[in-house]
Amino acid sequence: MRGRWLGALALVALAVAPWALARHQLSLLTDLLIFGLFALSLDLIMGYTGMVSFGHAAYFGLGAYGSALVLIHFEQPIPVALLAGALLAGVIAVPVGWFSTRAREIYFAMLTLAFAQLLYTVAYKWRDLTGGSDGIAGVPKTTLYWGGPSVAGPHAFYAVVAVSVVLSLIVCRALVASPFGRALQAIRENERRFISLGRDPRVFKLTVFVIAATFAGLAGALFAPFRGFASPEVMFWVLSGQGLMMVITGGIGTLVGPIIGAMVFILIQEILSSYTEHWMIFTGAIFVLMVIFLPGGLVGTARRLATRA
Amino acid sequence: MTALLETRELGRAFGALQAVTDVTLAVEPGELRAIIGPNGAGKTTLFHLISGLLPPSAGRVVFRGEDVTALGAPARCRRGLSRTFQITSIFPELSVLENVRIAVQLKAGGNFRLLGGRAQLDASERRARESLAFLGLEGRADELASTLPHGDQRLLEIAMAVAQEPELLLLDEPTQGLSPEDTTATVGVIRQIAKARHLTILLVEHDMDVVFDLADRITVLHFGRVIAEGAPSDIRANAEVQQAYLGTVA
Repeated sequence: MRGRWLGALALVALAVAPWALARHQLSLLTDLLIFGLFALSLDLIMGYTGMVSFGHAAYFGLGAYGSALVLIHFEQPIPVALLAGALLAGVIAVPVGWFSTRAREIYFAMLTLAFAQLLYTVAYKWRDLTGGSDGIAGVPKTTLYWGGPSVAGPHAFYAVVAVSVVLSLIVCRALVASPFGRALQAIRENERRFISLGRDPRVFKLTVFVIAATFAGLAGALFAPFRGFASPEVMFWVLSGQGLMMVITGGIGTLVGPIIGAMVFILIQEILSSYTEHWMIFTGAIFVLMVIFLPGGLVGTARRLATRA
Repeated sequence: MTALLETRELGRAFGALQAVTDVTLAVEPGELRAIIGPNGAGKTTLFHLISGLLPPSAGRVVFRGEDVTALGAPARCRRGLSRTFQITSIFPELSVLENVRIAVQLKAGGNFRLLGGRAQLDASERRARESLAFLGLEGRADELASTLPHGDQRLLEIAMAVAQEPELLLLDEPTQGLSPEDTTATVGVIRQIAKARHLTILLVEHDMDVVFDLADRITVLHFGRVIAEGAPSDIRANAEVQQAYLGTVA
């Protein structure tokens, strides 16, 4: 019940943000939401299926390139670019997932990392298509639909991002509550038991891997027009690692937690980096303290306190 | 009458160690069969071979007249072979109810409903509650499985298998680690399941009292081989069996 109120409150806050916030603040919030969606998608495999991927940035990057290319070369409306980015990420995730889900735990993590670095290298080297290390610049924020209104303004683009993220959250929540989502959680809890209850977990793992990659791709597809570029950095393993930290900070296996975790993570980075160039020392220390003193992350801890009160 | 389960010259080696050798047995429908043997006799390995968790290095497994040797554990389960484990194997951070419900769902199918599926969830939940009630766990349905005492976790695992409405139920040392009172209760439950659900049960057991109390027929394994098979009274009187047990209890 309290959760529902908080959800409604968050929706109201998102709705009034364009009027309440200054331009640069709204831009920051847009950024936070995009990375929130990225962390949310990672939570599907990490929190609900127990598969720790160390290469999730690859799908964010594929989404960014897919969307950037569609917008630059074909000047399609934003939804087409979002679809293209998400689909590209999902399609590439099929072969990667097919190989990676043959392994488990640390070996799965290493395979996803290896594939992600491979994709990063492709983006880096395929200059004709991706612009190499320069990436693709000048990605336009086009229109809402063919002949429709422009989404180039900060308010309009914020609205596109906010709606995409909220809808994604709603879909992901339904997904983890469905028969399929319940099966994923059983795999996370005890794979051997799952097998002896009559199903092969690999098909489930591959499916959720592709779904998670698709949502990560959607986040990347929002990122490219928002920042106006796509570059190899967004596919680099550093972002994959940060994704893990966002999920853990916010609360693994809670969906809304990773969104909050991403926001907190980036905000801390923003604030600290304006004071010192050694900000990474402090974000690292904060992360260590959080893991030790707030097991279950921000949302997990809040829920524990709420049930105790 | 044709056997529900047959193994034919079944064998499994781990490197140089021959864990199971030439095991041929037939379990009739409705039978409650126990497999006994001293530690390291190959009982659990034999169970893994029958349930499909391990591929055999020799021999065949035939279930309901079908050669299932090449099938993995999931396919054998879907054909009606459900099992429990010697070391309790449940979904610890899911509720007791969800543990059983997911067992029903996985067997029944429709597992790739990505969204919605309310009616399907409700149907499997009803069957899960029946199974929990049958094992006297309905009062703990909403607790996390990991918080149950050991004895109830053992029962929960049986509830998961029973909820799948199998043809053959494989129980791997169901009384493992239980107190004498819990052991008696569990024996009662197993007898009740066998009767009420007309289940064929194959169980591995360490506790001799349990075995002689429950089983219709007993198969004795020693160093991976069948050394005796028969009614409890025959087995009790069998000299070779006595020697096998006395020989290992140093």
